[in-house]
Amino acid sequence: MSVRKSQKEATRQRVLDAAKELFETNGYETTTVREIASRAEVSVGSVFTTFSSKGDILSQVMADRLDALYAELDRVVPHLRGSTPDRLRSIFAIHYAFETRRTRLFLAHIAAAYNWTLSPTSRPYGRTPRLKQVIRDCVAEGVVRGDVAPEVNLDLVVDALLASYAWTYRLAAWDDADAETMSAVMDRHIGLLADGFRAPKAVSQ
Amino acid sequence: MKHVSSNIEVTGETEVRVPTRRAIAKQQTRAKVLSAARRLFSESGYEGATIRDIAAEAGMSTGAVFANFTDKSDLFREIMIADMEALVEAMRDGVSRGRGVDDTLLKLFMAGYAFYKSRLPLARAAFGISWQPDQGQELRELPPVLQLQDLVSEQLTQGVERGELSQEAEVKLRSQMLFDCYLANFQEAIFGGWSLEALQAKAKDQIRVILAGARRG
Repeated sequence: MSVRKSQKEATRQRVLDAAKELFETNGYETTTVREIASRAEVSVGSVFTTFSSKGDILSQVMADRLDALYAELDRVVPHLRGSTPDRLRSIFAIHYAFETRRTRLFLAHIAAAYNWTLSPTSRPYGRTPRLKQVIRDCVAEGVVRGDVAPEVNLDLVVDALLASYAWTYRLAAWDDADAETMSAVMDRHIGLLADGFRAPKAVSQ
Repeated sequence: MKHVSSNIEVTGETEVRVPTRRAIAKQQTRAKVLSAARRLFSESGYEGATIRDIAAEAGMSTGAVFANFTDKSDLFREIMIADMEALVEAMRDGVSRGRGVDDTLLKLFMAGYAFYKSRLPLARAAFGISWQPDQGQELRELPPVLQLQDLVSEQLTQGVERGELSQEAEVKLRSQMLFDCYLANFQEAIFGGWSLEALQAKAKDQIRVILAGARRG
């Protein structure tokens, strides 16, 4: 890596760290790019050579966080045991636990998914292919293990699970719910969906 | 029934209070500001539209706007109330034409997507706001918003009463999941440019999957 490139990378990292702290403590809406630059000890201009907007910074902060989340999932998923609904419960519980470490940041991320200023390169909330894939694999393996009906429509089930997952965050946004509360609600959603896709022979949970 | 009762009001001999000219002018100003605000929120989003822009769009001073509305969130709330009330009506109408739980729910969903088809940017702004701490709470507690959710669970309750769904259908939870899917599909409508037909196909499948475990028999 050239000196210039590594300098740019260092600036990028400093901006992201500063932004993460400010978004979490002061909130996304009230934080300005100028404040982020000042905390990162770089010029406003150099922030804008790396990021197109505040929304873009938020999107990058969240993308970096997701890398850590999926590293954690990659470690855990192979060790999951039990029925398909139970495995799904564990996967979603890990997500809730992870995102509620910085609830405020995460809620800003959700709100920003509808923002006008997002650049095309941003990865807004709800369009993370990784989560979709992990859930899909889990249900598909359930067919192989025999507790999910073979005629299950994978896309539909995954889609319904993700809708439940995403909107259950409303409990955090509106009722200050913690990860445990949200996981408990999600567990019940999974149970109800599973009533519909469980293989006829499988013992009901 | 509706026609009957409105006829009675018109022909009744109750004293009709004639609004003053001033009150009419105030009403007109409010309507003008609201439609300007609606246009700007749709064009630039909630954050992007300022009171100053809205005043300019309505052809009046910011002072005149503030004489009628406390702030920007007041304006947005007024727009949301009007839309949500119309939306509930559209959904009730859809429900009245439905046959059976699945079809009724589908018509309810589709009434929503059709209603917002021409105002997706406003829906987008509303979704963004609904996740914000203070304003989000205000939005979700609007009476028509609560009615909207009740409408979904009413359909399930009636499905249970008619014997289409089992007594153990967990109506509350299942209607929440249906509502989650209804909302989640706006992502496809807003960002994916999905047609009403595509939304209908998806919603139909979702309803089937969510109700699958609740069928009787």
